[in-house]
Amino acid sequence: MLRIEGLKAAVAGKPILHGLDLEVRPGELHALMGPNGSGKSTLAGVLAGNEIYEVTAGRVTFDGEDLLGLSPEKRAARGVFLAFQYPVEIPGVSNMYFLRTALNALRKARGEDPLDAMDFLAVARERMQIVKMDPAFANRGVNEGFSGGEKKRNEIVQMAVLEPRLAILDEIDSGLDIDALRVVAEGVNSLRSKERAMIVVTHYQRLLDYIRPDRVHVMAAGRIVTSGGPELALALEEKGYGWIEKEPPQALAAAGEAQR
Amino acid sequence: MSAAEASFVAELERARASSAHEPGYLASLRSWGRETFARVRLPTLKQEDWRYTNLAPLAERSFADARPDPGEVKGLPPAPRLVFLNGRLLPSACDLEGLHPRLRLSSLAETLRERPALLEPYLGARPARGDHAFLALNAALFEDGALLEIPDGVWVERPLHLLFVSNSGKPAASHPKNLVLAGRGARATVVEHYRGSGPYFVNAVTEVVLAEGAVIEHDRLQEDGPEAVHLGQLAVRQAAQSRFTGESFALGGQLARVELVAELRGEEASCNLFGLYVASANQLLDHLVEVDHASPHCTSREVYKGILDGTSRGVFAGRIRVREGAQRTDADQVNSNLLLSEEATIDTKPQLEILADDVKCSHGGSVGQIRDDQLFYLRTRGVPLGLARAMLTWAFASEMVDKLGPEGLRAHVGRAVQGRLPGGELLREVA
Repeated sequence: MLRIEGLKAAVAGKPILHGLDLEVRPGELHALMGPNGSGKSTLAGVLAGNEIYEVTAGRVTFDGEDLLGLSPEKRAARGVFLAFQYPVEIPGVSNMYFLRTALNALRKARGEDPLDAMDFLAVARERMQIVKMDPAFANRGVNEGFSGGEKKRNEIVQMAVLEPRLAILDEIDSGLDIDALRVVAEGVNSLRSKERAMIVVTHYQRLLDYIRPDRVHVMAAGRIVTSGGPELALALEEKGYGWIEKEPPQALAAAGEAQR
Repeated sequence: MSAAEASFVAELERARASSAHEPGYLASLRSWGRETFARVRLPTLKQEDWRYTNLAPLAERSFADARPDPGEVKGLPPAPRLVFLNGRLLPSACDLEGLHPRLRLSSLAETLRERPALLEPYLGARPARGDHAFLALNAALFEDGALLEIPDGVWVERPLHLLFVSNSGKPAASHPKNLVLAGRGARATVVEHYRGSGPYFVNAVTEVVLAEGAVIEHDRLQEDGPEAVHLGQLAVRQAAQSRFTGESFALGGQLARVELVAELRGEEASCNLFGLYVASANQLLDHLVEVDHASPHCTSREVYKGILDGTSRGVFAGRIRVREGAQRTDADQVNSNLLLSEEATIDTKPQLEILADDVKCSHGGSVGQIRDDQLFYLRTRGVPLGLARAMLTWAFASEMVDKLGPEGLRAHVGRAVQGRLPGGELLREVA
């Protein structure tokens, strides 16, 4: 589904990704871990098409198609979704108007008929319940005055309505207390399916107590330095990120194996 | 002397003769207007209030007398309404159906003929703003306009529409004059709407007088044609505990300027002013807003927003004056601008003149572009670039549109504003 090969990217002339390879198949959930500055959010931004990042080498294909040549909205139409670490506030655009416009733009791009306001509202109400979102938020400006947790819930609601095939969740756990984390994680779990892949970017192992990954990758200095099963995350939790810079990645993977 | 000045001077001479049969106070006002204009002429960039507003599009035209084309006026607002064509009442388009029985909505010219004494207090005094070329021209040359009298205690639900249409094929000028008199505790909404086609000049003066406790919403909608030059004066005088809400939408015209002066003359009066100007191509849209706190315990709020595209120019001058003794004044002014092109410009100038010591006055504002992070967010959800830009531009504008009281007007203005935004047609498709 998604294939990343030798990806290098820079922001404002400063190289961040130094040759990254990753393959994601339908139904899989990959956790992407690593210390701050390792390039996790850059990768998420590059995949979604954020123009502040400049791709300097490598290729990314989605179902065999060159993803990097597509505008952000075309990527969305193909089924790529990014849940932002810091969702932006858009006063003056109501949440529901925004989401209906987005859904209908996607439907149009896919040759489907638009949903009218009533049908849309029924879908949106149902999906809001996935993360127990207060219906009062529906008509507020997009993320306007939302708390950190409400913003994260709103990202999941958007994912639930837009039904992407590949969802990239960038630090969906940051700034959440334990109750909110549980609600958001349950929302994510309810949206897992055989057709839908997810890349969950996180700094902490804590999220993976609630969302069980199929694969865990550890990033450092713009590369994936090691990959393994869920147990790799536990090894990281125990030893911290400082360790991976000191020890060869294989040793870390071995430690993960040992814990299993 | 510019072409326009020469034609105005000639017009003033012609008008002198026809003023002979008018009431004495009016003849005296006309004479003041003629003398003042002959002396001050059109303002130039050297004058502080006109530093950013070049009147060349007006000055280079020579204006003949406006002869109304016999064509009918279409797309009329709901009744009750008065319609003026090229400065004169167009009785066939007026409709007073549904007018509150105690309300008087009439032609100013007719009232001058039938009840001249009523207007003496308003037309007998020289404008307080002195050497003002456009007030002078209007005083000397106005032919008609609306007179709205709302008696004490009368509350009017339905908005009252005043529509001014200009449709001259050659340069022509009109000088409408309107008077709104709100009695004690009276309540009403007045819509002053300008539109038309052709190279015309409209020079309107509206006075709104609020007695104690009156509550007036005044919605000003300028949708003039692309070749028009529009000068609009709005003078508001407020007695104690009155509440004035003024909205100004400046959308059309090649050059358009609104000057609003609100005088808070009684305690606990409040004045809320909102404005939106949307300019593209080479339009120049200008607002000069002065709130004069002449009494203690008054409140004023101003929010003006501008959207500027192409090589258009916006000008905003906001003046808050707090007179000696106007303690506990609470005044706030905000002017925010969205520039959609590299070539568009805005000149914005707040001025505070405070002569009392126990006051709360603030001003703020911004000049910015559509934010890339908001644009990216919308696009990642599948919203195409053009639509995303239009949505964000409309989000900026809609706050002002939403403040309009009358629902039908809100819808009309919403469509008019969207119609002038880049990508506005995309918004209609997803509505």
